[in-house]
Amino acid sequence: MFLNNMLTNARFAGVFILLLLLSACARNPVLLQSTYQALPPHTEITSVPFYAQTEFQCGPATLAMVLNHQGVDTDVEELIPQVFLPERDGSVQPEMLATVRRYEHLAYPIRGTMDALLGHLAAGDPVVVMQNLSLPIFPMWHYAVAIGYDLPNKTLILRSGEIERHTMSFSRFDATWARTERWGFVVAKPGTLPARITARNALEAISAYEETQGPRATLSSWQAFVARHPSNAMGQFALGNALYADQQPDAARKAFRRATELDPTMGAAWLNLGLVLAKLEALEAAIDALTQAASLEGSWQQQARLALEALK
Amino acid sequence: MKTLRAYLSTLLITALIITSLPVAAAPTTDHSMDLVSTQSVLAEDNAGADRERINAILARADVQDQLLKQGVDLDEVDARVAALSDAEAQQMAEQLEMMPAGAGGGVIGALFAVFIILLITDILGLTDVYPFTR
Repeated sequence: MFLNNMLTNARFAGVFILLLLLSACARNPVLLQSTYQALPPHTEITSVPFYAQTEFQCGPATLAMVLNHQGVDTDVEELIPQVFLPERDGSVQPEMLATVRRYEHLAYPIRGTMDALLGHLAAGDPVVVMQNLSLPIFPMWHYAVAIGYDLPNKTLILRSGEIERHTMSFSRFDATWARTERWGFVVAKPGTLPARITARNALEAISAYEETQGPRATLSSWQAFVARHPSNAMGQFALGNALYADQQPDAARKAFRRATELDPTMGAAWLNLGLVLAKLEALEAAIDALTQAASLEGSWQQQARLALEALK
Repeated sequence: MKTLRAYLSTLLITALIITSLPVAAAPTTDHSMDLVSTQSVLAEDNAGADRERINAILARADVQDQLLKQGVDLDEVDARVAALSDAEAQQMAEQLEMMPAGAGGGVIGALFAVFIILLITDILGLTDVYPFTR
């Protein structure tokens, strides 16, 4: 009897503590003052089509919505064999991004904050978000497309599951979104860089596109990146590589030169500059650049030394 | 006859030497004059691009196996693996088992207790499992 009582008490205490812990995360997400000042109070991208998910197909359904919104001709049926994992009854994040690239579009992961999410919506880009609608111990992973918000009422508008216009309070949405570490992405055509994407995320997204689609198809995206972030040395370096692959060695030389000016410690930029100069038969300048590369410690030092020896 | 044999053997020797030379020499000279790729700089792999490449190839073979096991059609597996970047392929190879798979369907109805807990958390605004709570 006594033992029984103890157990019941312990159980109540456990539930109480659990609820206490949970309510701690039920706070309204705090938005930056600048978000209220800079963004319009209401936004809804009504041009995003809606496909109700069937069974566990929220991955293919969300992809169909954002790709069709970009003018890509595809549908849920076509996307299922490309992104759905039958044994897992779902779709995983890397394949969501990879499938976008199969349709010759880029998938840019966004910064995981409510401010960033609302900013993308205000800029007219629907955002694919991943949520855990349930609790971490009984997860219910879900993809949806955020299409708008209402700042005064603190609600988000989504195309989600079987609901064409699902409105959700910021706090409920943020609780479900936080469980995926606030994962989300926007989709764009090559040559366009969506507003507000961080330089690092853009570099990685464009580089991933280049890996599967080749440097020529990616050149316009690197140009857009460099226009947005003119003083990013890595961007100039990447542009140089794409220009070189596009048979524009002289333009490539300029981009590599610019990269070394922006970051004189970037060994790979000195090395590529030297190699391009060598191919342009500017031997003296090539040797200068390669000497710089060979003097910098790092992964490319060895190759720089070999190239220098080959030239001398 | 003797002069012919001598002539032929010198010809053969020179031919052999000439054909074997470029094969031995090519890898070292070619490699050092290749531009460094954007991907290998982004990966910042200090062990060098070669090891990175080998890992990526192994990871891809791994992912291919896993996708087949997860029930993906044989015709689709190659295209799906090819669509992944090296970094994504490695991530899939290492953690596909633990990766969340967005499904968004299937009410978790296994346990009544779970139903009650999720009902409460739905009402508290922490989860979004049962839309009828609003």
